[in-house]
Amino acid sequence: MPGPFAAFKWEALLSDWNVFAEGFGMTIAVSVLALLLALVLGIAFGMMGTEKSRLFRLVNRCYVELIQNTPLVIQIFFLYNGLPYIGIQLPIFWVGMLGIGVYHGAYAAEVVRAGILSVPKGQFEAAMAQGFSYRDTMRHIILPQAKRLAYPPLTNLAVNLIKNTSVMAMIAGGDLMYHADSWASANLYYGPAYVVTGLLYIAICFPLATYAKHLESKLEVSV
Amino acid sequence: MSDIFQVPIFLFLLQGLRVTLTIAGAAILMSLVFGTILAVLRNHGGFWGHLAAVYIEAVRNAPLLLFILAFRFMTPLPPVYAGIVAMTVFETAALAEIVRGGLKSIHKGQWEAGATQGFNKIQVLRYIVLPQAIHNVIPPLVSQFTTIIKDTSYVWAVGIEDLTGKGMIIMGRYTTAAQVFTLFGLIAAIYFVINYSISCYARRRHQRMAKAIY
Amino acid sequence: MKKVTTCFLAILFCIGMLAVAGCGADKPAASDAASASGSAAVPADIKAIKDRGVLKVGIKVDVPKFGFKDPNTGETSGMEIDLAKQLAQEILGDASKVEFESVTAKTRGPLLDNGEVDYVIATFTITDERKKSYNFTEPYFKDGVALMVKKASGIQGLADLNGKKIGVAQSATSKKALESAMKEKNMKADILEFGTYPEIKTALDSGRIDCFSVDGAILAGYLDDSTVILPERYDPQLYGIASKKGNDGLAKFANDTIAKLQSSGEMDKIIEKWGLK
Repeated sequence: MPGPFAAFKWEALLSDWNVFAEGFGMTIAVSVLALLLALVLGIAFGMMGTEKSRLFRLVNRCYVELIQNTPLVIQIFFLYNGLPYIGIQLPIFWVGMLGIGVYHGAYAAEVVRAGILSVPKGQFEAAMAQGFSYRDTMRHIILPQAKRLAYPPLTNLAVNLIKNTSVMAMIAGGDLMYHADSWASANLYYGPAYVVTGLLYIAICFPLATYAKHLESKLEVSV
Repeated sequence: MSDIFQVPIFLFLLQGLRVTLTIAGAAILMSLVFGTILAVLRNHGGFWGHLAAVYIEAVRNAPLLLFILAFRFMTPLPPVYAGIVAMTVFETAALAEIVRGGLKSIHKGQWEAGATQGFNKIQVLRYIVLPQAIHNVIPPLVSQFTTIIKDTSYVWAVGIEDLTGKGMIIMGRYTTAAQVFTLFGLIAAIYFVINYSISCYARRRHQRMAKAIY
Repeated sequence: MKKVTTCFLAILFCIGMLAVAGCGADKPAASDAASASGSAAVPADIKAIKDRGVLKVGIKVDVPKFGFKDPNTGETSGMEIDLAKQLAQEILGDASKVEFESVTAKTRGPLLDNGEVDYVIATFTITDERKKSYNFTEPYFKDGVALMVKKASGIQGLADLNGKKIGVAQSATSKKALESAMKEKNMKADILEFGTYPEIKTALDSGRIDCFSVDGAILAGYLDDSTVILPERYDPQLYGIASKKGNDGLAKFANDTIAKLQSSGEMDKIIEKWGLK
């Protein structure tokens, strides 16, 4: 019996490298777009969470609690298998991007909200007193300060988001994990397939995670 | 609607819920223990510290699903055990980083103070530093616990019938929009109730404790 | 006194088993044991079951119509269950004297080897490779990779699936069988792999895929009013009853029973009863 990491299995993987490359490309594309979506949602809903209006705060709470307290897998299954029943058959790429973006958007909203709340109220009042409009106050005074505090957790969030794109493997999504698992279960060369997949994820996530740590330590020094 | 809200279906889902809670519960307990050990090691530095760091960084930058697939298909463990081990291996890294954050928040003076009182290092760690460190990170810890409960649904990828799995099995028997949407709603609601109660309870307790201290 | 005899025979049975395990598969250890126990007419392996008073059979619990445990009632039923009961009827004269043990593709071999079950009747495909390790009866059912589509789709066969999406389970057989069949027909369809059967069914229901394709036996369990299983079969597979090498009495007995059921038309009745035609 050859071991799980026998040389010929690695050779097989090398000759099929394009399968993994295709999946890796898909994972990166979904990650980037989902991250953008998560940031947009995070900023929009995060700001709502700091509003005086109860309605806005209620909308923020509903979004955050509903999404954060149910599994991503269920949300993705819903987009994939639920929505077609009411005539919405999103392409698989959209299912991944929307599902993963909306899920992590809820976490981003909490980070953004905490960032904004960390800016002393006086600054807001001072800016308004200076004749700044609400939008300008947010844009030029509050958000730049909130950003500094929100950056490290948002970077960590990006790492989680990239890892969670693997959920697409469960709906035949064509991402890295899907192709790796499909390749491995066809020829039973699990060992090399999983190692290479792990390394590819680490290759994108580790630099980001390290960057997040760097930002955190900078923050600690300045605080 | 009425064809979903039946006793047998609830019992069937309940079986899945038991699997979910077993895997999540075991993974939480074990990864909290191992995570704390790794956090202490990494905080301490040295050879073992570096080793802990390598483990943490390698594991937390790869997806959970990869570990579930690997432990299910490359070890002879029975399915549920494979799920527990995979989740423990993965979550240990995540919890280690959270606990380490708590350790860093403890002032160095505490170590010295403990030492002057005649405590040895282990005792200072056990009785003075760790309790405070963990207390300081209860909110992120609890939030990670709920994430673990949610992420248990990944085990369905290898056919372990957790709550998500049982839900999807039932889903295969129903084919109208109303039934499918009701089922999705029901499954999501079960997860929601569990996770929301956990986070509410933790939040309230933490606030009460914070009030008691300050 | 009776207890002592049972004990003695049980021990003898175990020793026989050990002898088989120790001697390797080829030696007819069973006949040695048979002469040792003193009854030449009944092989030792069968006698052991008679003395035990219960037949142990490994079955599937997740393949409806073959071996399926109803999650609501906890009852197990299917054509393979019926076969097991027939065997018990023949050996022990009582169809209810059978103990079921749930097996999976992974565990059915080891459970036969360690003697935990006497027979495995669990959609076990007969292959030359497996024949080296286990005794198989003549096939009791012929199956193959089948296609399930929605009735409303009007799809009649593989040829109609050109350019469409087919959902398969993550394993080599159905994907390979379909790919080679499509190559012959000079057509191409998207093959999507899923981790579990229910997910493929759900994807078929929601219109994500146009066809659900796995072994016909497994497919039959997911059939409902809105779907139909097409008559085509790919990569034909024969299911047989397996027993441990060395337990030649058991093997012969099962084979005889199958032959009897087939010639009397009883087998067709069972197959028909479960709607497997």
